[in-house]
Amino acid sequence: MSSVLERARRIDQRFLVAAAILFAVLLPFFFDSGSPFMDDAVLALAYVVMALGLNVIVGFAGLLDLGYVAFFAIGAFTMGWLGSTFYSESNGGDGIHILVTGAASNLPGIHINFLLVLVAAVVFTTIAGVIIGLPTLRLRGDYIAIVTLAFGEIIGQVAANGDQIKIGPIWDATLGKLPLIPDLGSSATLTRGKLGISPVDKIDLPFMDPFTSLNSRPWYFVALGLVLLVLFVNVRLRDSRLGRAWLALREDEVAAISMGIPTVKTKLMAYGTGAALGGMSGAFLGSFLNTVNASQFEFLFSIFILAMVILGGLGSVWGVVIGAILLSYVNSWLIPDVLNGLPGQLGLDFDLTQVSFAIFGFILVIVMILRPEGLIPERSRKQEMHGIGAGDTAGAGTDVELGEAG
Amino acid sequence: MSAGPEKAAAPKPAPEVPIRAEGLTKKFGGLTAVSDVDLELRAGEIAAIIGPNGAGKTTFFNMLTGLYRPTSGRIRRGQRDITRARPDQITALGVARTFQNIRLFPTMTARQNVMIGRHSRMRAGIFGSIFRPPWVRNEEREVWERAAEELRFVGLKPELLDRPSTALSYGDQRRVEIARALASDPEILLLDEPTAGMDPRESGELADFVLRIREERKLSILLIEHDMKVVMGISDRVTVLDHGELIAEGDPAAVREDPKVIEAYLGRGATA
Amino acid sequence: MPVAFAIHDLSADGSLVRIGNNLKDGISNGAIWALVALGYTMVYGIVELINFAHGEVFMIGSFIAFAAFGWLGLDLTTAIPLLILGLALTLLISAIASGALNGMIEKVGYRPLRDAPKLAPLITAVGFSFILQNVGVLWLGGSQVSVPDLIGSQNLLFEVGGIDITNGDALSILTTIPLVLGLTLFIDRARMGKAMRATAQDPDAARLMGIDVDKTISATFLIGGVMAGAAGLIYALYQTTIWFHQGFEAGLIAFTAAVMGGIGNLRGAVVGGLIIGCIQQISDNRIGPEWTPVIVFAFLVLVMLVRPRGLLGEETRQAG
Ligand SMILES: Nc1ncnc2c1ncn2[C@@H]1O[C@H](COP(=O)(O)OP(=O)(O)OP(=O)(O)O)[C@@H](O)[C@H]1O
Ligand SMILES: [Mg+2]
Repeated sequence: MSSVLERARRIDQRFLVAAAILFAVLLPFFFDSGSPFMDDAVLALAYVVMALGLNVIVGFAGLLDLGYVAFFAIGAFTMGWLGSTFYSESNGGDGIHILVTGAASNLPGIHINFLLVLVAAVVFTTIAGVIIGLPTLRLRGDYIAIVTLAFGEIIGQVAANGDQIKIGPIWDATLGKLPLIPDLGSSATLTRGKLGISPVDKIDLPFMDPFTSLNSRPWYFVALGLVLLVLFVNVRLRDSRLGRAWLALREDEVAAISMGIPTVKTKLMAYGTGAALGGMSGAFLGSFLNTVNASQFEFLFSIFILAMVILGGLGSVWGVVIGAILLSYVNSWLIPDVLNGLPGQLGLDFDLTQVSFAIFGFILVIVMILRPEGLIPERSRKQEMHGIGAGDTAGAGTDVELGEAG
Repeated sequence: MSAGPEKAAAPKPAPEVPIRAEGLTKKFGGLTAVSDVDLELRAGEIAAIIGPNGAGKTTFFNMLTGLYRPTSGRIRRGQRDITRARPDQITALGVARTFQNIRLFPTMTARQNVMIGRHSRMRAGIFGSIFRPPWVRNEEREVWERAAEELRFVGLKPELLDRPSTALSYGDQRRVEIARALASDPEILLLDEPTAGMDPRESGELADFVLRIREERKLSILLIEHDMKVVMGISDRVTVLDHGELIAEGDPAAVREDPKVIEAYLGRGATA
Repeated sequence: MPVAFAIHDLSADGSLVRIGNNLKDGISNGAIWALVALGYTMVYGIVELINFAHGEVFMIGSFIAFAAFGWLGLDLTTAIPLLILGLALTLLISAIASGALNGMIEKVGYRPLRDAPKLAPLITAVGFSFILQNVGVLWLGGSQVSVPDLIGSQNLLFEVGGIDITNGDALSILTTIPLVLGLTLFIDRARMGKAMRATAQDPDAARLMGIDVDKTISATFLIGGVMAGAAGLIYALYQTTIWFHQGFEAGLIAFTAAVMGGIGNLRGAVVGGLIIGCIQQISDNRIGPEWTPVIVFAFLVLVMLVRPRGLLGEETRQAG
């Protein structure tokens, strides 16, 4: 009987999902391709990818990662390294070109097709995730938050001072002899320091309109493709052996490890997945924003993405999508364009853009106190955040129909 | 029910002594919770650990299952030294447990709880979970059914299968915990006060059920128990701890007469 | 590390003056971190929460001190006796205001979440930290603001063995010592101090013993805030520049100091603060200030990974 209801609900849900995807696909045809709205939409989708990545770490596995910006940085730098004139001395000044067409194919520097860069970004961020996670995830939860924050800051600072780190000679000395490793020239550095790497190659894909800064439609579709991919990963992981193990670790770590769940390995899978997804979005943003700049990689960004996850609902896939879209528009449209004059009109002497920090901070506080499960709560989270087990629903025998089957 | 749900074929012959503690000691700061305890569990037996509150029984279990690292001494699982092994490795080696103060996952259903118990016997990793190839689908479905079977075996009413574990009665929660432990196909089952909070009738039923588990699942059971009636009724051997030390060991009837044991329990009226 | 540099200096210029000055600066700076770290360690010891906003309470302390200079009319022309009186008054104002702020954050942000998963109050703490940073931005703008150098921070007071002790050094050390001593005495002797220790060990048992746990926790936040406020004043006088971002790094440094000293251990937090102060100075002076944050954060990571229970031991109740 309940299974009939549930099947109905599931069909309902599928219908909703299909409608949402259809809407997202058709949306760009109702807006001018060069309009700010479309630019903001591309940004919003890229943030959805980020937020869904962080959702695997914080929402599914319950690991508070305050340094998620690290993966944005590494993904974006992968794009900058492999798709710009930054390493202009590479290959003796001729540059390296793999599967690129158009202007990029004649420029010096390394220029590699976006899809390959995407793969490289995933590989780099996953490796970084494992390196950071392996020692860190042994710690207790709140220490994990601080150590990930520190790693995020370290990566941001290294990006800002990376012009002092010469990699050419080291690279050549250790790896240059291998046939696959390119010669970067003797003055190559890790980053361009505070200046940033710009311009960055545009995405270049067959069968699509050219990707330019005036035409956001192709960018939109690539971002949407990434969103769908990441959504798929989120949903599949949630309803799997791993998703169940993450839930168990979140609810009672001692019981979970006693039931045979390896803590560090299981957490590492969440952390590595989240890292990889953040790296994907980072590579995309590197190309879309046309710059890879140390000032992008600040703690505020980690909190911005975290606020999306929390607002939408920790662990709730659809909630996080909505949270990300909302906050992205709040940040790129509502605050600067719509409400910015508001304090002035009220006789106050500041711009709203100056207080964007506080707005995200405020969201964290308000949501946690008033509705910790977020806008669209994930099934089990609601009870969890209200401290179940200690009180309320724990009372046995009151056959309340709380249940939704797994 | 036929001889329990399909058991994963044990490749190696069952070792002589499934689990053995040698000189096991645990100190918490100045307090010695378990002091130099030797104990072995023989294949197919039900052994009980008794002792007054705070004697160190649960701490002993926590060391056997890898939750606490012993201050000194060793633990062997068959031929293997598992003193420094992690809890998940110990579970994978066929040791499962329940907790004194029930520790089910509160927001999960009874069935999901038992599926967690099966985790160590499943293979789906990150790519399997994302791409969900046929073998992963099969694995998931089998575990789903297996969980229901385990819950039926422990006597949970079928309509409670997909209830959140916190909505179950106390006795049912204890059953789900046992089912969760059994789901990992253990060769050794550690039960920490399984009758705590039960009335005499329920305790009696549970004692019978423990015997049945041993018969049908062919495993060895180590149990911590305060209820002397249960202890005397089902255990082959009894070990008594007091202030962390092993003060007596042997045949239940003999242990009950041991003056040291009587002294340890003096004033507690636990010798039923 | 200091030892290595000391040997290096000896062989390079045959004297220990440079490392001595590094360490002296480190201790003066570290004294400020120590005061901030006390608040972290006390709060974590009692509610097991990283009060992420604590660094910002310290920052607001500096801002209030700066404002109080204005209210009290303290400037470079103020006569010395009046100056001392004014600074004492400022200390009182910024300490009380910061204490009250910290207490308020606890009431609004953490108390309602005491039964929620530990993640929840930590997230509100991060939220408060951002809100307060923004208060700082609106108050004094987004860049460094210079504070009147009331005490002549860099003026030489006296010299021992080639090491210059300035007015700033004297202020920092001479204010910190009595505060730390007073606090340890309070925790050891006073009724409230005893209640704090009991609650830190086992809140349930403390409640059974008739201790008002809520009140004790509030008092802990209050005292932590008072220490941060005092640190804020010293920072303003010592550095002579303040800005909204100073709390972020101070918070992380101080938390590292608290962990290094063993969470809950007051003396440990002080020692931790001094050590990190020295590391910073050595890095500033020898590697380059732009790398100091990396060094400090790397040190933080190292401490957390290698000695999460602290160099000096002593931990709160087990989580398991
Ligand atoms: N994690 C811990 N930290 C400090 N002391 C502990 C810890 N775990 C147990 N103890 C102490 O070790 C001693 C033994 O405790 P244990 O729980 O093993 O006793 P027990 O025999 O299981 O008692 P009971 O019959 O009440 O369950 C007790 O004094 C207890 O306070
Ligand atoms: Mg016990």
